[in-house]
Amino acid sequence: MPRCDRREFLRNAALATGAIALSDPLIRLARAADDPAQMAIARWDQAALADADLTAAATRLTEAAMSSIGGMTRFVSKGDVVWIKPNIGWNRRPELAANTNPDVVGTLVRLCVEAGAKTVKVGDHPCHPAKQAYRTSGIAAATKAGGGQVVYLDERRFRDMELGGDRLETWPVYTEIAEADLVINVPVVKHHGLTNASLAMKNYMGTIGGQRTAWHQHMDPCLVDITRFMRPRLTVIDAVRVLDAHGPQGGDPGDVTVHGIVAAGTDIVALDAFGSTLLGHDPTAISTLNAAVAAGLGTIDYASLAPVDRVLS
Amino acid sequence: MSAHARARRLIWTRRTVQGLALLLFVVLLAANRPTTGLAPDAPVGVFFDLDPLVMIATWLSTHTLAGASLLGLATIAVTLVFGRVFCGWFCPLGTLHNMVGSLRDQFRRITPRVEGYSRWQRGKYYILAALLLLAVCGANWIGVLDPFSLLYRSLSLTVVPALDVAVGAVANAIYMGDPHLGALHLRDLTEPVYTWWRNQVTATELRVFSGAGFIFLIFMTALALNLVRNRFWCRYLCPLGGLLGAFSIRPLLRLTSDSESCNSCGKCTLSCPAAAQPEKPDQWLGTECFGCWNCVDACKNGSLDFTWHLPTAKTSSGTLDVGKRRLITSLVAGAGGLALMRMTPQAHGKTFNPALIRPPGSRAEREFLQRCVQCGLCMQVCPTAALQPAWEQAGLEGLWSPVLVPAIGYCEFECHACGQVCPTQAIEPLTLDVKKKANIGLAVIDTTRCLPFAYDRECIVCEEHCPIPTKAITFELRDVELRDGSSRTLKFPVVDPDLCTGCGICETKCPFQDLAAIRVTSAGEDRHPDNQPVLPGGNDPYGQDLGY
Repeated sequence: MPRCDRREFLRNAALATGAIALSDPLIRLARAADDPAQMAIARWDQAALADADLTAAATRLTEAAMSSIGGMTRFVSKGDVVWIKPNIGWNRRPELAANTNPDVVGTLVRLCVEAGAKTVKVGDHPCHPAKQAYRTSGIAAATKAGGGQVVYLDERRFRDMELGGDRLETWPVYTEIAEADLVINVPVVKHHGLTNASLAMKNYMGTIGGQRTAWHQHMDPCLVDITRFMRPRLTVIDAVRVLDAHGPQGGDPGDVTVHGIVAAGTDIVALDAFGSTLLGHDPTAISTLNAAVAAGLGTIDYASLAPVDRVLS
Repeated sequence: MSAHARARRLIWTRRTVQGLALLLFVVLLAANRPTTGLAPDAPVGVFFDLDPLVMIATWLSTHTLAGASLLGLATIAVTLVFGRVFCGWFCPLGTLHNMVGSLRDQFRRITPRVEGYSRWQRGKYYILAALLLLAVCGANWIGVLDPFSLLYRSLSLTVVPALDVAVGAVANAIYMGDPHLGALHLRDLTEPVYTWWRNQVTATELRVFSGAGFIFLIFMTALALNLVRNRFWCRYLCPLGGLLGAFSIRPLLRLTSDSESCNSCGKCTLSCPAAAQPEKPDQWLGTECFGCWNCVDACKNGSLDFTWHLPTAKTSSGTLDVGKRRLITSLVAGAGGLALMRMTPQAHGKTFNPALIRPPGSRAEREFLQRCVQCGLCMQVCPTAALQPAWEQAGLEGLWSPVLVPAIGYCEFECHACGQVCPTQAIEPLTLDVKKKANIGLAVIDTTRCLPFAYDRECIVCEEHCPIPTKAITFELRDVELRDGSSRTLKFPVVDPDLCTGCGICETKCPFQDLAAIRVTSAGEDRHPDNQPVLPGGNDPYGQDLGY
């Protein structure tokens, strides 16, 4: 039996290690060609934006963004219970961009129903009285039109859940949301006095109960903890209208800019990073995003995901 | 048709009318729950418009009449013709008393008891006299005892919240516990009912009211008094009954009896809920009779019937059974009550109670108290349960009048419902745009609690919730030195007194839930020129268009 000397052994071992180490990225690379995109940005033609019918535009932008990342069937299986979590924090009209655009929400509801979801629930834990906020925001009507179910949260149905986070061990989370097969996070892009930008991670504050205003004292780690707990699979960013100042509530039409953009994807941090650029920020200057990257929740460099960029008109 | 047969038919008609009126009362109460923040479409205050006691007392105290309240004249006109049929046929509180009385008779297996006329029944006239004297002096206390106010307040502030708590507790226990047998889940049955209850009957947020237990106790006592005497409340206490009694001295429709055929069996007396003495041919009391027709129905000899008379014809009983001396005594008692209420510095505008925050559009305190009938419509429609029945805040005179308690709820920016539903315009019906700028108080920051001031912590919750589009709360950036010697820049809240309306959402949402670090007091309220700590017009001179 030929002897394998030490040098030969080391060389073979190194080769084998190298082959194993390389094979995974190679396989991934090969597979990526078939994989749907992880992120898509649908924009309305800027030149046509001034005259656009924003209801129709929001609907088509949402459809385009979703189809570009593989369609709703990629996320929704037949018989699923889906919870769509828009921002319905305030008793404000859609034109004021304090809440998620109702047509974006309504379209997502319809896409979920078409993808075979058993129940599509829409709900938030608003700052203002729920009935007024749902109605004024137009989301109650849009949900019903799309075939979804409007859920007014019940203060007695938050349950202490193990977040096991770095900052928070447990926190009351809404049972029905935690039990859903899929939670679609649909924030509107807006300014916030504390975090500068209120986006998808901040939107998860509508799934929790308890003394949640205390989170403001240590917002970034709390948002990281709830985001990790919610295990985001699908995030849709509504930037049809963007609230540039006096957020998160707004109220002055002068603070609103029409962008005509809807972005969708699987990486919540990337989407929030993109959203923050619409507010004129460098994503690396947003402390929440830096905390999220440090916690391994996603990438701040959304361009590295090579998002599909589509322009509609 | 014999009188007896006619009575049978009229009794069933009456019961139908009573049931429908009670149903209407409840339906209008449900229609007044908070849904849109705007005025409800239904005429939610129509019972108060029909109430002549509200009309007369408000006229005595303010010397003005609201247009809709003239419906009270219709009630008086009906009373002049038919007597107190309002009490017997319409009043929902009277109907509830009727039901309790019937239940009592169903379950009490003793020989029927004659509950004949008692001179204590004059009590309601003395109560009325005292209340009207108070009204003349500008203290509108009739709502404390007015049957519609009492019923509305009791139902909306106590019965509905109690039901809501009970229904919610059961539904949530089943939901969270999820008892099931295989694939059969009990919650699949309860959830649709609970959803309907929350979405269609009550509000989605649980709303409860301070001191509701005491209001409930009074309501239960009023109902329980039927065990002592059938319709005890209506006979002895009700000031509206007293008022209508005074208009029923010579009604056109009167009970007449045929003494020839009467065999003095006494069945009519037993059937009479009002102790109007149908058994004494010449002493029927029109001022007490509810016109219920029970006696005519009970009389098997056909000796009793209601017949038409000219108003000039004297009644056998003559007049109201009210002695002059006792009437004077009750007026003196009313004056004494007034003195009792007004013996405070606050009643004379010498002090302003910081906790006496009135809903937007409220008139100056004296005028407000002249009008408010403590009905609870404004509290029922308030979406955040900010409006609570006052106990000590407004003095005895303002018992159960609405007071905004920011620790519980706040005045929602896009809502002006309270002023729209107020039946006496104690709260004026402001348009939404005017209401958004109406000042009901002013926020003050307690720097001994406020997180950045007292604990070097970030917060901004008050700023975030401030509904003023350009923000009445802004930040001042300041560097603080932490205990490890490092420094940090924090955002310190500052209130702009020109923009702050005192809506109170900052206090409601402050992380300090026991005693908020930002609190609203009545200072700066539009209605009192003497309660203005801040010289107006710093950043926002009067008349400047704020753009919202």
